[in-house]
Amino acid sequence: MSNITTSQTIGPFPHEAWAWAVELTSRVESSAPQVKIKGAIIDGDGVPINDAWAEAWLPGSAAAETSHAIPGYRRVPTNEEGGFTFSISQPQAPAGKPVAYVTVFARGLVKHQFTAVFLEDDPALAQSALLEQVPADRRHTLIARKQADGSYLWNIHMQGASETVFFDYT
Amino acid sequence: MQFDAIEPGVYPELIYPPYKSTAKRGPTQAPLRVRDETATNTNLFASPKLILPHDMDMTAQGKGEPLGEKIVVTGRVLDEDGKPVRNSLLEVWQCNAAGRYFHKKDQHDAPLDPNFTGFGKMLTDDNGRYRFVSIKPGPYPWGNHHKAWRPAHIHFSLFGNVYAQRLVTQMYFPNDPLFAYDPIFQSIPDEAARQRLISRFSLEETVDDKMLGYEFDIVLRGRNATPMGI
Repeated sequence: MSNITTSQTIGPFPHEAWAWAVELTSRVESSAPQVKIKGAIIDGDGVPINDAWAEAWLPGSAAAETSHAIPGYRRVPTNEEGGFTFSISQPQAPAGKPVAYVTVFARGLVKHQFTAVFLEDDPALAQSALLEQVPADRRHTLIARKQADGSYLWNIHMQGASETVFFDYT
Repeated sequence: MQFDAIEPGVYPELIYPPYKSTAKRGPTQAPLRVRDETATNTNLFASPKLILPHDMDMTAQGKGEPLGEKIVVTGRVLDEDGKPVRNSLLEVWQCNAAGRYFHKKDQHDAPLDPNFTGFGKMLTDDNGRYRFVSIKPGPYPWGNHHKAWRPAHIHFSLFGNVYAQRLVTQMYFPNDPLFAYDPIFQSIPDEAARQRLISRFSLEETVDDKMLGYEFDIVLRGRNATPMGI
């Protein structure tokens, strides 16, 4: 058997403890153009989860954020409507790669979940090495849709017909 | 790094009916095994500048000493090869000695301690070791069911050396009578995996007449780490 240390939920009370990284990563200093990704984290009844967290690792953004406290990293608690927003820097086209590797945490979620998000107008999506490993009928759960204001919309569904694909990396 | 599949039972069950809020929040589909070099080989850089004075001594963050039993908690963070996970960001948070979190939504009728917030952060050293000073947290009720009380615990958040090593877990204290009644602890089917979340008392780490010592080693997933700089 594996000897790893297993997971436990973050519970309902990490907000004050985790706030330092929320504050440090909400003001993005970047040399590259930025776009916003907005969405909500939604439970199996379709109810937004107002005490969840999204963390994003943005490998493609890090190089453009050298003056940022933690280049390429964001931490966002969901608000009362279950919503989250984070900005990504785009020094270059994503070229079939996720723009953000996203980790989801919540009370009632006993193990954090890994997922990733792509932009729908990335012309290289069809050649994505990661998307290719995802069943075709579930790929849409990983793709953020461009909105009229230039931001991208991406909801994370914990359950249901549109349950987001969560990863276990090999 | 390479991430081997983890046997069923080691991770908690994502939908575990005795822990009620898992019912609508736990994914129903098994996670998809995928290969992605970025997730398994890159990570954020946590500068030592992020660590502030007293982040590693949670009894020194107020104007006076917090109430309760002063403790020191230390251990090593290792990967599955037993290699140290160095210079890696680790956060901890907990309730105070009376079982109350410094959090606006905690309604437990127990006193806040003006000298204790219960959060800290640190980087592991070259041996993968961390060490912090705190107050032993109390048990507290949480409303999941009648007489639902959590065993005393400290929350740990670890960033590892690569993104896919990210871990959030809870450290418990030896011989807690509440283990058998706690659905969060019991959501882990494998007995050995549960036991690995329990720290051990250490006379060696105990500091004179000042504080009792507890040891808690953590094994993150992943093997075949690439040496730094290659």
